[in-house]
Amino acid sequence: MSRVVIAGTRSSLDEAIDSFYGVEALHLIDHTTGADGFSIGSPLPHSSKASERLLKVRAMEKELGVGKGTDTAAVPVAEVRGGIESGSVESVESEVLKALDRRNDLSQRVAGLNARKAALEALSRIPVDLDLYSGYRSVASVAGTVDSDPSGALSSLKDAECFYSFDKKEGGVVAVFARASERDKAVAALSDLGFSEIEVPEGSGSPSRALDEVIQKLKAADAESESVEKELEALRAKHKTFLRATDEELSIQIAKGEIPLRIAVGDRSYILDAWVPAKRAEAVKAEIESKLGSAVHVEIEETRGRDLHEEEHAEERFKKAPTKQSNGRVAREFEYAVGLVSTPRYQEIDPTILLTIFLPLFFGFMVGDCGYAIPFIILGAYGLRKTRHKDWRAIATVLFFGGIWAFLFGFFFFGEALGMHFIGLEEELITHGGKSVSWDILLGVQFPDWFQGLMPEFVHHGEAGAEEIHHGVGKLVEVTLLLKLSVYIGLVHLMLAYICGIFNKARQHGAKEAFMEKGGWTIAFVGIVVLCYGMTCVLFNGDGFEGATLIFMVAGIAMLLVGTVVNFTKEGVQAIIEIPGLVGNILSYARLAAIGMSKAGMALAFNYIVFGMIMGISSPDFHVSTFMLIIGLVIFALLHLVVWTLAILSAGLHALRLQFVEFMTRFFDGGGTRYEPLAVKREKTISFGKEAKEAKEA
Amino acid sequence: MIAIGAGLAVGLAGIGSGLGEKDAAAAAIGAITEDPSVFGRALIFVVLPETIVIFGLVIAIMAFFVL
Repeated sequence: MSRVVIAGTRSSLDEAIDSFYGVEALHLIDHTTGADGFSIGSPLPHSSKASERLLKVRAMEKELGVGKGTDTAAVPVAEVRGGIESGSVESVESEVLKALDRRNDLSQRVAGLNARKAALEALSRIPVDLDLYSGYRSVASVAGTVDSDPSGALSSLKDAECFYSFDKKEGGVVAVFARASERDKAVAALSDLGFSEIEVPEGSGSPSRALDEVIQKLKAADAESESVEKELEALRAKHKTFLRATDEELSIQIAKGEIPLRIAVGDRSYILDAWVPAKRAEAVKAEIESKLGSAVHVEIEETRGRDLHEEEHAEERFKKAPTKQSNGRVAREFEYAVGLVSTPRYQEIDPTILLTIFLPLFFGFMVGDCGYAIPFIILGAYGLRKTRHKDWRAIATVLFFGGIWAFLFGFFFFGEALGMHFIGLEEELITHGGKSVSWDILLGVQFPDWFQGLMPEFVHHGEAGAEEIHHGVGKLVEVTLLLKLSVYIGLVHLMLAYICGIFNKARQHGAKEAFMEKGGWTIAFVGIVVLCYGMTCVLFNGDGFEGATLIFMVAGIAMLLVGTVVNFTKEGVQAIIEIPGLVGNILSYARLAAIGMSKAGMALAFNYIVFGMIMGISSPDFHVSTFMLIIGLVIFALLHLVVWTLAILSAGLHALRLQFVEFMTRFFDGGGTRYEPLAVKREKTISFGKEAKEAKEA
Repeated sequence: MIAIGAGLAVGLAGIGSGLGEKDAAAAAIGAITEDPSVFGRALIFVVLPETIVIFGLVIAIMAFFVL
C-alpha cells in the first residue's frame, strides 16, 4: 500500500470528490481535528436537500413495499438526476401521499364501523330501540355485556327497568334504565358479573336495522379499500423503478457530500490522506492530476512494506495500512469465514485460500458418504444461485464444495451411500445373520468388476482367520487406518501452519526473529512427531530400541530439546508447559475419523432398524410386503434426515474449529483494517462512464 | 474389561469437556449478544475444551483395536 496526500482548492472540492470516487482506489484516512491547523469540513451544500429527499423516498418505499429484493430495471443516471432536479420526488410523493391518505381515512372509517357493528350486535339482542337509550332528564341508561347470568343482580335493583339476554356460550347483554341518581349503584351491582359498558351508538329504530345499515356500509368500505389497494399497487408498479434508482442515486450523493467530514478543509483548500495499492499509486496520481489539472496536487508519501518496524515508526493515524484481500471468485466466499475471527493484518498471509482448500476437504472427509453428499451439493448450489446474503453464501459455499468432497470420499474411498456400502461383506450382512446392509444385496444386483475396481480393496483376517475382502473403507472396521490417516492429515495441516507462521514473522521482523519466534516451535513440533513415531514403533509394533527406531527416537528428542531451548530464550517456562499441547494439537485431528465413525454408527443402527426390524429382511431371497416397504421407506427417510442434519452441525463446526483453533492460531494475528476504497456501486442506475466502458469492451 | 475401560475413557472425557465448555459457552453467548463480530473468537474459546473428549476417544479406540 502507498500513502498519498492530495491537496487542492476548496472551490473544486465538488468536482474533486467525483474524481476520487472515479479512480476507485482511495481508502480514506480520517482526519483528526487540530492535527495540522485544519479542521474537518462540513457536508457539501446539496447534501442536506438530498438527505431530505432520500427520507421521503425511503418512506414511500416502505409504504409501497418496495425494497432491495424488488426487481426493477436500471435507469440512466442522467435521467434519475434530471428527475430529482425537476422535483419528481416531490410530485411522486404528493401522488403517493394522496392514495395513502385515502387508505388511512378509510381504515379509520372501517375501524369506527367495526366498533359500531360490535355494539349493535350486542344491543340487537335486547328489544329496545336506539333512540330510547337517551333523551331523558331524570332517567339514566346503562348498557353493556356481562360474563355471567345477571338475573340475580338485576332483581336487587329497585325502581329500575331492566332488560337482559343471557346465553352461556355468548355471554349476556344488559340494559338498565334507572333514576339518574341511581346510575352508579346499577353499575356497581353489575360490576361483579364482569360488566363492560357499551357506548350506545346514535340513531333511531331497532338496533338490528341499524346493524344491517352498518354491514352495508362496511361492504362499501371494503370495496373502496380494494380500489385504494389497487391504486397503491398501480402506483407501486409505476414508481418502483424510479424509487429504487432515486434511492441509489441520492445515497451516492449523500455519501459523496459527507466526504468533507472525513478530510481536512481550510478556508481555501483541502487536504486528504489515503491509502492506494502500491501498484496503482502512480496511475491514480496521474489520473487525478489529469482530471483536476492545476486545482490539485498529489504526492506519494510512502510505500508501506510488510516490515512491522515501518508501522511502529509511523504517525498514529498512519500506523495501520488497510488489508486488500485479493482472492478469486470462489475463495472470496471464504473471506467471511476468516472475517469471523478477524481481518488479516497488512503484514500477514491471508489464510482465506488455505481455508478454501481445507474447510470443504475436512467437511467432505467427515461426511464421506455419497447419499448425504448429493443433497449437500444441491442445497449448496441452490443457495449460491439464490442468496446474496454473505452469511448464507458462505454456508452454501461450504455445503457445495464440502458436498463434492463428501461425494468423492464417499464413492472412491469409503464406497458407501446412506451408511451402506455398495458391496457388502457377506457374513456381516443381515441376510447372513449380521447387522449391516449393503446396496448390492438390497437391490439384488452384482456390481460389475470395473465398478468394484473404483474402490480400494482391503484384506482383513476375520475371527476364524479367514480372509475378508472389503470394497471401500469401512468406517467402523478400518478404524486404525482412519485414525492414522487423520493424524497424518493433521501433521500436514499443522506443518503448513508453522510454515505460514515462519513466513509471516520473516516478513514482519526478519529471518532471525522468525527463527526465534516460530522456528523453535517448528523444530519442537517435528521433533515430537518423530519421537512419537519411534514410540509407537516400540509400544505397538513391538520393535526394540535399535536400528531405525532408535535413530527416530534420538533424533526426535534432540530436535525437541533444540526447539525447546530456542523457545525458552524467547518465552521462558511457557515453552516447556506447552510441549504436551503439541501432541494435543495433532491428536485433535482424530475428530476427522471420529465424526465419520459416529455418523456411520448411527446410520448402521438406523439401517438395521428399517431393513432388519421393520422390513424383516433375514435371508438373501427376502420378500417385503408393500405396506411394510412404504412404512420402512418413510422411517428410513426420517432417520437419515436426522443423520444428515447432524452432519451439517458436527462436520461443519468441527471442520471450522480445526481451521480456527489448530490451524490459524499458529500464524494468524488478525486485527487488520479492510481496504475499502471510495467507489460508487451502482445496481439500479447506469452511469455514462460505465455505459461507455461496456460499449468499448463490446 | 476393555469395553468398560473404553466406555469410561469416552464417557468421563465427555463429562469433562461438557463441564469445561458450559462456562465458556455461556460467556461466549453473552459476548456475541453484545457484539456479534466476536463470533469467531468466541467459538475458539468455547471449543477449546472439546479436544479432551477426542483424547478419550483415541484412548478408547486404542483400547479396542490396539491392545
